[in-house]
Amino acid sequence: MTTDELSLVFAALADPTRRAILERLARGDATVNQLAEPFAMSQQAVSKHIKVLEKARLVQRTRSAQSRPCALDAVRLDAAAGWIAEHRRVWADRYDRLDEHIAQLRGRDSG
Amino acid sequence: MTDTGELTYRRVHDAPPELLFDCMTTPAHLTRFWGPTGTTTPLDGIVVDLRPGGAFETTMVNDSDGSTYTMRAVYVEVERPHRLVWVEAESHGGMRTTVTFTALRDGRTEVVTHQTNVPAAFRSAAARAGFQTSLDRFAAYLKILDEGGTT
Repeated sequence: MTTDELSLVFAALADPTRRAILERLARGDATVNQLAEPFAMSQQAVSKHIKVLEKARLVQRTRSAQSRPCALDAVRLDAAAGWIAEHRRVWADRYDRLDEHIAQLRGRDSG
Repeated sequence: MTDTGELTYRRVHDAPPELLFDCMTTPAHLTRFWGPTGTTTPLDGIVVDLRPGGAFETTMVNDSDGSTYTMRAVYVEVERPHRLVWVEAESHGGMRTTVTFTALRDGRTEVVTHQTNVPAAFRSAAARAGFQTSLDRFAAYLKILDEGGTT
């Protein structure tokens, strides 16, 4: 995945409606109509969101069926998720160790 | 989260901002905590030239196999004890890290670490890690988003 491709993924995920669409698709494929239902949003508006998700290659649309159901394409999402989780772990760990270090400094002061 | 990808980490530490700022900017302190568990950050591999335009470099050594990872950054803003900004121009294609230190009324300090231009940093990591597929990780990612990990 190139930097530009990842930027598309981040941009696509920046919108809560698009994240909700992905959550829905994680439970199974759905047509645009089905996706539009819970959002009180026009089919056209949902189609726009799906186009962004398709461009980021987070969603695939079947060409065979006339209803063209949407399906989650998780490869890029996983790559992004894996990296972010690891990155967060590094910072969490670093600040845990900072806390331990400070506790030691203070122990020394008071002792 | 913007188009460029951002990550935010919030922590509250039981120490005043001055001490936390000094810990983040003094090699003798950094060597004690900078490398995450399983790594060490030797003192002789830490460069801190604490001024805008000055170098900030750390080399983390993996305890198990001795492999090293060097972060090379340049300070952009140095405002003790409130704010510290550095950019990893060379190793991460421009990832910018802003750390702010805010004193709380109870004597503790909230430290917010905000990173922008994250996708550039992702490229090399993704190449190393390879791609894996699982819906579990998708769920984990959505959880991260919901918790405000990326905003």
